[in-house]
Order: sequence, then structure tokens, then C-alpha cells
Amino acid sequence: MAERETLLEVRDLKVHFPLEKGILFKRKVGAVRAVDGISFTVQQGEALGLVGESGCGKSTTILAISRLERITGGEVLFSGVDLASLSESDLTRERQNFQIIFQDPYSSLDPRMRAIDIVAEPMSIFVKKGLLSLSEEEIKEKALSLLERCGLSSIYANRYPHEFSGGQRQRIGIARALSLGPKLILADEPVSALDVSIQSQILNLLKDLQKEFDLTFLFIAHDLSVVEYFCDRIAVMYLGNIVEMASSKELNDNPLHPYTRALLSAVPVPDPIAAKKRKRIILKGDVPSPSAVRPGCPFYERCPKAMPRCKEVKPILTEQGKNHQVACLLYEESSDA
Amino acid sequence: MHETTILQVEGLVTEFKSERGIVNAVNKVSFDLERGQTLGIVGESGSGKSVTNLSILRLIEYPPGRITGGKVLFHDQDLLSVSENEMLSIRGKHISMIFQDPLTSLNPVIKVWKQIAETLMLHQGMKKQEAKKQAIELLRIIGIPDPEMRAECYPHQFSGGMRQRVMIAMALSCNPDILIADEPTTALDVTIQAQILDLIREKKEQYQTSVIMITHDLGVIAEMCDQVCVMYAGRIVERAGVEALFGSPKHPYTRGLLESIPRMGNVGTQRLHSIKGSPPDLANLPPGCPFRDRCDKAMDICASQLPPEVVLQEAEGERTVACWLYPQEGKHGRA
Repeated sequence: MAERETLLEVRDLKVHFPLEKGILFKRKVGAVRAVDGISFTVQQGEALGLVGESGCGKSTTILAISRLERITGGEVLFSGVDLASLSESDLTRERQNFQIIFQDPYSSLDPRMRAIDIVAEPMSIFVKKGLLSLSEEEIKEKALSLLERCGLSSIYANRYPHEFSGGQRQRIGIARALSLGPKLILADEPVSALDVSIQSQILNLLKDLQKEFDLTFLFIAHDLSVVEYFCDRIAVMYLGNIVEMASSKELNDNPLHPYTRALLSAVPVPDPIAAKKRKRIILKGDVPSPSAVRPGCPFYERCPKAMPRCKEVKPILTEQGKNHQVACLLYEESSDA
Repeated sequence: MHETTILQVEGLVTEFKSERGIVNAVNKVSFDLERGQTLGIVGESGSGKSVTNLSILRLIEYPPGRITGGKVLFHDQDLLSVSENEMLSIRGKHISMIFQDPLTSLNPVIKVWKQIAETLMLHQGMKKQEAKKQAIELLRIIGIPDPEMRAECYPHQFSGGMRQRVMIAMALSCNPDILIADEPTTALDVTIQAQILDLIREKKEQYQTSVIMITHDLGVIAEMCDQVCVMYAGRIVERAGVEALFGSPKHPYTRGLLESIPRMGNVGTQRLHSIKGSPPDLANLPPGCPFRDRCDKAMDICASQLPPEVVLQEAEGERTVACWLYPQEGKHGRA
């Protein structure tokens, strides 16, 4: 892909949740380091995927970028403006440029609102705040055309969420996210709750919309094949850190980090002949608690290639080949030598 | 019925009463399970895969649900007609089940060892101390580190993967003939899923257990199963060996499903295949084939008549398909 301008730049983003003890006099006893200093950029028109297992901090990253979660440290530069330090009112104005699509199409729509009102609500709010000038009629018209663009016929516009299937609800959620004409879509597991046959419909819709509206995506999914299909580049997260980042093809063909390798090999492939031939890397144990303070590599305990040094030195993301970064001492040493 | 057939389901029908009428969740489902085999049942939500298996164990709540037809033959007795007492001695001992969500299927206020020991005391007649020892041994077998200490914990102190291990320990405690696993790894992360699938495979080999694996994940089916049933709207639309099914799917629904999954290593710029529309309303099924509105090969006959299950003899073995595209290729099966 040709070099395009950077739309989003995240620098050393940290989100820590304090752990407190005591009832009357709370004192801080530690912190859950949900996101522990990550940096990445997203180019205009690109789709960057964040993958990792539950608790790795991928959803918190999205919530922090949209300031729905308090940022502990770092910068979130959106078209050069630092979202982390904006005042509430400036932030509201900026919000029309980035919108979220949520995972659960059941709980993310107000059950007492009609489909058309759900899609119209962001516009109505912006009109009320004087940030947008549209008449009621125009809002309604736009909401209708968005619903239709997302594959819901206008005869459904006056129905309530419970009258729709999961896939149709996700279409409403997508139409709502598009209503303010955003540049960046933060998609948090947008197809995880859907059945396979519906999942492909929604993925196709998102791809079409990306082209049509020149959208940029930060896309989260735990399903690696979905992320690989949808995204140009992928960042692999583990315990609040990015451990590897590369283009989708490069990551699949040439994974470097032991965690990425294990993750890729753990995905069941829908091909019985290939499945029998494949050698899987089975990781031991579970993801450790993100509240423990550890000096070394976050993956140390479960890593099949761990060295004594990994316990003490935390590896940083370093360039390994073109557009391929990895945070692992295995590769730092080879580049030193 | 072959000599090695351990479970035979024939014409199973399960209905639920709802405000909108009778819902045929399972509609004349038939399949055989062979000894030592892993049979996969795959389908989307509402296709009837879980209800089929709950019906085998007679765990359908009445009302609103009711098994209204068919037979479930296990060791020459029809499980649908034995007494509730006999059923109690079959569940957990001869046929056991693991569920999708290990948190809600374990009792939160009972220590882990006690939950495993309960089955042992009931079915094996063990005394409490003996059962506790055995429970700890099972935790060790299933790969829980430090089992003596962990046995004294409550379920909430375990991670999702460890809880699913406990469920498996419970399910295997009496060395059952059949293990029914209903989406056993859906709630788990991929690396933990790989651990659990490995464990099921290993224990299955070790104890020669037959497994029914229910899942929506075609990848899990490909890795785990020998035979596969594809369910749609309460019916089995295709049944074949795993390699035949993935290699040359015959039913348009199976084909559509396989084509709509994004594949690893296939970084896509082109569109995914998708099946148009969404599954039909089971309370209001039109006559004919339930898939016809979404089918790109639908013909006139599909709208009026339900396709029977047709048996196709292939090099790899037998396959059944319920689709009018294959009307004369073989003799009619159990329609």
C-alpha cells in the first residue's frame, strides 16, 4: 500500500487500574496494568488488527483511545490532536471523527428505541450541541439511507431491537457508527457474536463501507482468521504489551515471537487433512495476572523458548525486516551479534 | 446397526411450546455413533444441535419442551422409554456431558473435589475419603497443577480453562461409554482451547470413549471428528466422513458454510462468500426444504416437498444428503 498520512498515532499508552484495600481509608496496594505502554500508528484508509487472548488489553486500548476509559499515561494523537489531553467539550466535537462498533449486538442497542431513532441519535445530539446543522427531516432521511446502505430495508426502520436477529442488530450498530461521518472506526469484536453464515455478510459489508467512505479501522477480534482476512496489518498483544506487529501476510508466513507462533498454531483449521499434518505448539498454563509487577518479558512463564535473561530484561519492539517488529530477546541478540 | 454401534438415534423429534406455536427444535434426526468414534454435530444457533443431545439424556424441561417421537438405542434399550431411575444410573456413568460454560455448570458454593466426588460416590459407591482421593487423582490426570491444594478451592478460584478441566474430570470420572461435549471450548481463548481439545483427544484414546462433539466451529470439527452431521433448522442436512465432507461438500448449505469462513493464510482482498438471509423461524416453517429461501440452487420442487435423506455410496464410505439435487443417486435413507 502506498504511504498515506497517519491518522492515528498512539505513543506509550498506559491504562492502569488501581487496586485498593480498606473500606473507609482506601489505600493503593497495586495496579492492574491492563495496557502497559503500547505504541502504534494507523494510516488513513488502513485496517490495523489487534489480536490476543482475553485480558491482553485489546478492548481497553480501544476504550482508552475513545476516552471511555481513563488514560494513565501516554498520548493518543488523532490527526495530530492529542485526545488524551482534550477537555470534555473539545472531545465531544472530536468524537464525530471516531466511532465504535461493539461486540454484543444485544446489549449495545437501547431496547426501547426504534431502529431509526438509534441511528439518528448521534446526529440529534450533535444538533442539540450546535455542532451540526441538520433539520429533523434531514436527520431522518440520513438515518434511513444509512440503514438501507447497511442492508436493512426501510420497512424495518420503526421496529425495536428485539424484533431483529443478531446480524440485523449488528447492521443497526454499524449504521449508527457511520451516522456522524467518522474517519476512524474502532471495531471491538464486531462479528464474534454472530453465526458463521452471518459473520461473512457483516465482514463483506464492513469491507464495502471501508472502500465507499474511505474508512480507517482499528479492528479487534480474538479470531485470527477474521483479523487476517480483514486487516492490512496486525499487532499481537500479550498482557498489556504489543509483542509483534507486521503485515497480515508477513505475520502469517513468518511469525517470529514464540507467542505469535503458539497462537497461530492453536487456531483450528477447517481442513481435516491439513489438521492432521500440522504440529501444534501447546502452551502450558494460563495467562498470568496483569497485576503482578514483573521486570522481565511478560510471556516468560509460558514461553517454550525462555532463557534465564528473559526473567530480568523486558524486550522492546525492534525492527526485524521490513515493517515487521517483534519484542523478544531471541531476536535482539541476533541483531546485536 | 453395526456391531460396533454404541448409540443409535432414530427419528428423534423434540418440540417446544411457545407463544407463537409449536417449535420443532429437533425434527426427525437420525444418526449412529460407533465405539471409539468422535462424531461432530455442527450448525448455527437454533439449528437444534444442543437440543438433540439434551434429548438423548432426557434433559429437556417439560413444559415447555417434549420429546415426541423417535428412539435412542443404547445397549439395546431405548433411553426414551426407560424409567427415570434407570436414566439416573445412565447419566454421568455411561453417558456424560460437558457444557459450554464451565462457570455456570459448576456449583459455586461447593469445593471442587466434592463436586467430582459426588459422581464417584453415587455411581461407584465409593466412601467419602476414597472418593476424595480419586477426585484428587483425576485432577492430576487432567493436568491441574498442585491437585491436593487445588481440590480444596471453589470454582471461582479457577480460570476458565481450569474449570473446563474440572468438568472433564467429572465427566470422565466413571469412565463413560459416551462423552457428549457441547461447545466445550467456545468460551475459552485459542491457546487454552488447544489445551482442552488435546486433553479430550488424549483421554478419548486412553479410555476408548465415544465422543459427540457439538460446535459451531468448523475448525474444531476438522481437527477432532471422524464423522460429521451438519444440522440446519432442526434437521441433519448432510452426514459424511470428515474428509469427504470438507473435501467435497454436497448440500448447498454445507458448501455455503465452508465457503463463508475466512481462511488463515488467505489474506483477503476479495469478498467472502456469504449465505444470503438468515435462518428460518422454527415456529413457522414453510413446507418444503427449510433452506430453500437462502439456497442459490433452489428449484420448484424445493418449495413444495421436503427432501428425503438420500444415501450416497462413495469411495470413502457412506454419505447421506437431504437435498433435491441428489434425488436418484441412491436408495432413500431414513427420511
